[in-house]
Amino acid sequence: MTGAAALALPLAKAGEVGEGFFHERSSETLPCQATDKLFCFDWAKENIGRYGTPTVQHLELVAISVLLGFAIAFAFSLLAHRRPWLRPPLLAGTGILYTIPSIAFFFLLLPITGRGRETAIIALSAYTLQIIYRNTMIGLANVPTAVKDAARGMGLTERQILWKVELPLATPEIVAGLRIATVSTVAIATLAVFAGGGGLGTQIYGQGNINFATSIIIAGGIAILMALAFDAVLLITQRLTTPWRRGAQA
Amino acid sequence: MPDPEVTDEVPSADASAVRYENATKRYGDSAEAAVERLNLEIPAGEVCVLVGPSGCGKTTAMRLVNRTVELTEGDVLLDGESVRDRDPARLRRETGYVIQQIGLFPHRTVAENIATVPHLLGWKKERIGARTAELLELIGLDPELGERYPAQLSGGQQQRVGVARALAADPLVMLMDEPFGAIDPINRERLQNEFLRLQAEIRKTVLFVTHDIDEAIKMGDRIAVMRKGGHVAQYATPAELLMAPADEFVEDFVGADRALKRLALMRVSDIDLWEAPLAHVGQATAEVRAKLRGAEVPYPLLVDSERRPLGWLSERDLAAETVAARPDSPLGPLLDLDDVMRDALADLLQGEAQYAAVADHRGRIAGVLSVEIISEFLASPQAKTEEHGAAERPH
Amino acid sequence: MSLPLLPALAGRLFTVPPSASFGGAVEFIFTPQTSNVTGGKTVGGLSQVVELTLTQLEVTVLALALSLAVALPIGLYLGHRGKGEFLAIGIGNAGRAVPELALIALMATAIGVGVLNLTVALAVLGVPPILTNAYVGVRQVDRSSVDAARGMGMSELEILRKVEVPLAIPTIFSGIRGATIAIVATATIAPLAGVLTLGDFIINQNVYGDDGVVAGAMLVAFLALALEFSLAGLQRLLTSKGLKVSTA
Repeated sequence: MTGAAALALPLAKAGEVGEGFFHERSSETLPCQATDKLFCFDWAKENIGRYGTPTVQHLELVAISVLLGFAIAFAFSLLAHRRPWLRPPLLAGTGILYTIPSIAFFFLLLPITGRGRETAIIALSAYTLQIIYRNTMIGLANVPTAVKDAARGMGLTERQILWKVELPLATPEIVAGLRIATVSTVAIATLAVFAGGGGLGTQIYGQGNINFATSIIIAGGIAILMALAFDAVLLITQRLTTPWRRGAQA
Repeated sequence: MPDPEVTDEVPSADASAVRYENATKRYGDSAEAAVERLNLEIPAGEVCVLVGPSGCGKTTAMRLVNRTVELTEGDVLLDGESVRDRDPARLRRETGYVIQQIGLFPHRTVAENIATVPHLLGWKKERIGARTAELLELIGLDPELGERYPAQLSGGQQQRVGVARALAADPLVMLMDEPFGAIDPINRERLQNEFLRLQAEIRKTVLFVTHDIDEAIKMGDRIAVMRKGGHVAQYATPAELLMAPADEFVEDFVGADRALKRLALMRVSDIDLWEAPLAHVGQATAEVRAKLRGAEVPYPLLVDSERRPLGWLSERDLAAETVAARPDSPLGPLLDLDDVMRDALADLLQGEAQYAAVADHRGRIAGVLSVEIISEFLASPQAKTEEHGAAERPH
Repeated sequence: MSLPLLPALAGRLFTVPPSASFGGAVEFIFTPQTSNVTGGKTVGGLSQVVELTLTQLEVTVLALALSLAVALPIGLYLGHRGKGEFLAIGIGNAGRAVPELALIALMATAIGVGVLNLTVALAVLGVPPILTNAYVGVRQVDRSSVDAARGMGMSELEILRKVEVPLAIPTIFSGIRGATIAIVATATIAPLAGVLTLGDFIINQNVYGDDGVVAGAMLVAFLALALEFSLAGLQRLLTSKGLKVSTA
């Protein structure tokens, strides 16, 4: 077998469907699926209630993961702020956690934390670390030297400078990082179903939903709306906490 | 007018002296010190300018006072107390600090910026508010600007806020590092003048760093010209510096136009003016011609009934019986007693006149100025003893 | 927010579910074994691993190439002209909000399974980061360099090629790396669309067992890290010396 053929073979075979892949069609969705429509409005109206719990679960997953990720990443930033030697390892470490696909992370944790919500949360938090850490460091680095010099010369202690000057001025970048992290987490949390963590993914993958377009669309739609809502709220928060950025003189 | 209730808590004459005693700053293991054994005494209430080429250590020397740069050896005494004995943060709350890029806090309003140190010192809200209002007025800013953010102000306004912020807690000493360096020349002059006006009122001890010798001469009561390593080549008043530079370095630094620079320090009123024979309209020319003999200025000046100069009379004018209302030659440049000497000379040269009439503040003739008078005066011993403080000098 | 979370977490850390272990996973990778979950089927072993890995790699590369072909020119053009900021940034934000599971599942259900469909879906995921970063990277190039180049008589294309792109490489590459991560991660759930990648080990736990699941996770993680590492190396090669400053 020539090398090229050896490479092409897997791709060619890839079309073969693996076993145990398509789940059984659930009887309650059958009427809608039988019509082969993309989106059944009637079914949607009737069954909208079943999305309540998954949505709440999803919200919780996202909120807890992002808050946990923020707490850890922020702590990292404070540590690395005055210790430049910490920065490369922290950046690399959080980078590795970011690169590993979440679904793989869920199952890397399997021998340690098993299945369940905790596993999902750990993996989702880990994913947010790099974004938040990096943005916080950039925000702090962007504080003008003259402002820090003036603050020091006026008699603020290093701690006062950090909390009263540097962090407030870094807020836009920090919130930007939070926004990216949150939106990404909402999308990825759909995978939590694989870890047994619940969430909207259950309405896409679990129990006969896998080839039920209406449910996929609804669940996906809710996820996207949630992401946009979080984004909007954080954007407004950013605007509210940085009144000095409005109306600058040319 | 500042509120009397507040001003008596702001003692203006309570400015303090700064003394460097063998102050040395060495970075790392380098053999050369940034500042080497500096000995300097700055009297209270005066503006002392540290001037010199880049890298001479003037900024480093200034920063030794508030310990934003730490001493390697030697000492700096602030109001008699060593800065080493003070906690740096507390020390800095008693020194005003103004830097070139200003460094206003972008995320705080102008009023909040000014209130920074009083806040740190735990002043009560009312006191801070009163002080802020007072300072805004002092620096000539509209009180409503207090609620704006720095980004909404012009460069000149920002710099003024920077000065106000440094003055807020009524510090013992003001440290100013090229504070007007980043401003355009027109506004820089305005800011310098305003600072001098302010200094005339509050009389702070100021340590001012600049690389611009003209600024040093304008702003300083005393100037320390520094060489590399923070070595003081000369520490003197501006007039002394201009008239008697200590060595070639100082001479080069001050510039070849020393004499002209001196003229910036004087007013026309400092000089003994010559007198021109005066003529009135309708006067008999014979009288006028009689006055001409032996006069200091060989041309008669036509004045009105109030002794206000109208023009110069020529030979042709004197040929007539009486003095005509319209003189032959126009008045030319008309100077004022309060004019800065350098500007007066410029006017003289520009008008291509040999003599220029000088009037007092009511417009009445006070004397006549010429280039000859100026150069005679510069050479005379009398000029050497004239010395105004920076705030009283023409600016 | 569930406060019992922390104790629960701690509890979990100290109990090892009986059927999964890292050792077992490693064994799974190298030696074919009889699945003890679905009766009698042979699972695991290097050849199966290699096959699935190659599939994932190939699908990723194809999708990435497609994304690049679409997104890079558009992003660079918009950035150079300074137009379409809302679109360029907006697409980046929108792309991040798309739940990959829903995308793949919907595609499989509504359009159909297969490599072609999958590649297009993956490419769709890869476009936003590349486009946004290409735009931002070019926009952030120092205007004075561009002005100088224009003043020297360079054509617009030359400016883009010789000045803007080289200076924007770090940002552009950051976008490419982001796209790759997103594509590799989604390629992991490709089995849902009928394309067998390493994700099959993970998703079909009832075939491969817990050992297989952990093995799949390890392999996917390794693949993602290897790709990221290679791209980082490539970026370093392509970045001019003058730009190599470390940040953050």
